[in-house]
Amino acid sequence: VASRLSGRTSPAMGTYTYTSRPRALPCQRRRYRDSLTQPAEEPIHYGNIMYDRRVIRGNTYAVQTGPLPGQPDPIEIQRQQQAKRRALARKRAQEQLRPRTPEPVEGRKHVDVQTEIYLEEIADRIIEVDMECQTDAFLDRPPTPLFIPAKTGKDVATQILEGELFDFDLEVKPMLEVLVGKTIEQSLLEVMEEEELANLRATQYAYEELRNVELAEVQRLEEQERRHREEKERRKQQQWEVVYKHNETSQKVAARVFAQRYLADLLPSVFGSLRDGGYFFDPIERDIEIGFLPWLMNEVDKTMEYNMVGRTVLDMLIREVVEKRLAMYEHKEDQPPFVQSEDGFSGPRAMRESLMGDEFHEQSASQSQRVLQARDSLQRTPSNRRYMENVSSQERKLTEEEDDEQTERNISGRELL
Amino acid sequence: MDATTAPHHIPPEMPQYGEERHVFELMQNMLEQLLIYQPKDPIPFMITHLQQDNDNVPKIVILGPPASGKTTIAMWLCKHLSSNLLTMDNLMAQKFSSLAAVAREHYQKMKKLSNTLLVRLIQERLREEDCIRRGWILDGIPATREQALMIQTIGITPRHVIALSAPDTVLIERNLGKRIDPQTGEIYHTTFDWPPESEIQNRLVVPGGISELETAQKLLEYHRNIIRILPAYPKILKVINADQPCVDVFYQALTYVQTNHRSNAPFTPRVLLFGPMGSGKSLQAALLAQKYGLVNVHCGQLLKEAVAGESKFGELIQPYFQKEMAVPDSIIMKVLSQRLSQQDCIQRGWVLHGFPKDLDQAHMLNSLGYQPNRVFFLNVPFDSVIERLTLRRLDPVTGERYHLMYKPPPTLEIQARLLQNPKDTEEQIKLKLDLFYRNFLELEEFYRQATTINADQDPYTVFEYIESGIINPLPKKVP
Repeated sequence: VASRLSGRTSPAMGTYTYTSRPRALPCQRRRYRDSLTQPAEEPIHYGNIMYDRRVIRGNTYAVQTGPLPGQPDPIEIQRQQQAKRRALARKRAQEQLRPRTPEPVEGRKHVDVQTEIYLEEIADRIIEVDMECQTDAFLDRPPTPLFIPAKTGKDVATQILEGELFDFDLEVKPMLEVLVGKTIEQSLLEVMEEEELANLRATQYAYEELRNVELAEVQRLEEQERRHREEKERRKQQQWEVVYKHNETSQKVAARVFAQRYLADLLPSVFGSLRDGGYFFDPIERDIEIGFLPWLMNEVDKTMEYNMVGRTVLDMLIREVVEKRLAMYEHKEDQPPFVQSEDGFSGPRAMRESLMGDEFHEQSASQSQRVLQARDSLQRTPSNRRYMENVSSQERKLTEEEDDEQTERNISGRELL
Repeated sequence: MDATTAPHHIPPEMPQYGEERHVFELMQNMLEQLLIYQPKDPIPFMITHLQQDNDNVPKIVILGPPASGKTTIAMWLCKHLSSNLLTMDNLMAQKFSSLAAVAREHYQKMKKLSNTLLVRLIQERLREEDCIRRGWILDGIPATREQALMIQTIGITPRHVIALSAPDTVLIERNLGKRIDPQTGEIYHTTFDWPPESEIQNRLVVPGGISELETAQKLLEYHRNIIRILPAYPKILKVINADQPCVDVFYQALTYVQTNHRSNAPFTPRVLLFGPMGSGKSLQAALLAQKYGLVNVHCGQLLKEAVAGESKFGELIQPYFQKEMAVPDSIIMKVLSQRLSQQDCIQRGWVLHGFPKDLDQAHMLNSLGYQPNRVFFLNVPFDSVIERLTLRRLDPVTGERYHLMYKPPPTLEIQARLLQNPKDTEEQIKLKLDLFYRNFLELEEFYRQATTINADQDPYTVFEYIESGIINPLPKKVP
């Protein structure tokens, strides 16, 4: 039991407790023989805990994992070993310290000699004497005698007979009256109490009934009130929604009408602005401007160039002819110089007509044919008659202007000459 | 909803809102873009367009002969309006565009850029984010009519086109003095625009191609081309004389660029005329009302009508009139709001004069929701006022009103019996003018968008100024 107790507590607290039941100290000397009926004696414990090795002294917080109590303690072992060593050392020291007889001289040997007065016989035989001894035989334990203490004191007796002390019937009346009266009073009280309770309960019930009725009434009124209020709220809400919808619709209508009217002019102004910005243009006009007119100018350029080339060549021809004529006339010394050759330069057209003699007719004709061909090529391409007329009239104007330029060029050419 | 029981009117906030936010111009721009690009998904396109919100960014083309200063003007405008400058050089010099690299090669070979390439470069550049957000100023492009037509065909339309013009001799002379700063690229002139810092002076170089002959050739080329470009931009063109100091040209250009062109947005004029006594407000208001059908609202007249009509307002006002005290603001506001909220005022617009006399009244007018959309300040010098008012006379017999200077009475007999209104004496006039000028500065600050007109001229001239102020949209002022 003790160990069990200790086992229960030591893991929790790390402490060691020990209890033992008080018991009679067993006598160490056994007088009687062990009886079979007696229970076995308890195992012998160490009596004094002060000297119990299992009791941990000092700080119990650090768990001591000492050796099991059966096995010898290592400290004990150490101590024993030390003690042994010390004893050995002491013995050795004592042997060394003990004065001994000096060692024998060489050639001699020590022999033990008895130096007492009376000599003793040293024989190996030991004197033996046999002696015997015997304990008394075991006896049965006698039963414990009954303990009867001696009698002390004196015995005395007395006796009361009927009718000697009091009259029961007389004496009992007041008590009975009181008892009964009290009982009846008590019962009356109880009955009254009960009746009162019943009355109270009845009034309570009545009151509760009234109260219920009133509550019901109140609830009904409340319900009615609530219904009224909700109805009113709902009606107000409905009306408010109607008004709100009305306003919203009128606003939407106004907004739509406003937007329509405000942006009524949007499309025309957009188209107008795009047209002003040049994004929308008249395709025919644009086509003429981009496609036709440059080509036209190009062609006019070309024609003018042809004209100029023709005239330049014609110029050269005329110059050659005049030079040749001059040379011819110079050959004929007696003929006067050809005055007309110098005047003739003023009007190349007149010159042309005058010089369209037999020899140069073909050349100039071929030249004019080339010019005419150019003109024909120009006339063939535009199919429109009016165009042709316009072009040819333009050309005529151009050629007239050209003639003026030509005269200037001729004069400059003459100057260069 | 019955038209008789609950007549529906368009609440006046709607036209006001449309006017303030320029809804008509917004829709017009959006529709133009839709028509030009014709996207497959119109709604996302419209959403992105509205989010870009770039209707008011500058889109300017500056044309002009060489040495007219157009690059200078373009750069100054750029800085002032914080916009992007596009010239042929900086279009080709773009680093991150393959098209620009192609253009550079082409230019190196042929010494000039083909029209299609240039127009494609411009198109690409104008699609970039900064041009969309801050606008663009084209300097010297388009140079020929073909370029102009190509630009117009792809849908790029400038809002303002400025053409500088000056006599050729001036230009040739001016070109000889041209100098360029190689670091910043700014153009300076030896006589007209010399930089103050000496370090800039030291690094100026003479650009090539400024001799007289070359300038003359360039001018010939320019005149040949410009005469065909100008008709392509009929309504947005403004020709500025470049023969003036640079600053003058710049300011003219700036004011032009800041004006909006007239749009077809429906517009009800709500005009406010300010001016001291004798500046002609009533006369101008009467002329405006007659010509445009606006309702002439004269505050003093309204109050007198209320008193005469013996309405409940009239009864309130009468004691003030009797004691010759100023009528308190609240009553004036009530009478005025009653008049201005009537249907004819809302529909036809109004001309108000004689009303806000100080800042509080102006705030009250605003809070009631009757904000004017055109405000005019008529400025007259003191002497003119005195002259106009002190010489007013009345003929008691015929009731004709004469003015001794501007409308003298025909005969001496009439002149003998003319009478003067005691309120027209100089002291009275001085008092009233003092009162007016005391509040004038605050009112001027309150109405920032007001136009100031010199009212010292004859009435019809002033009327024309007012008319142009009403009809043209308000210029947007760059802060």
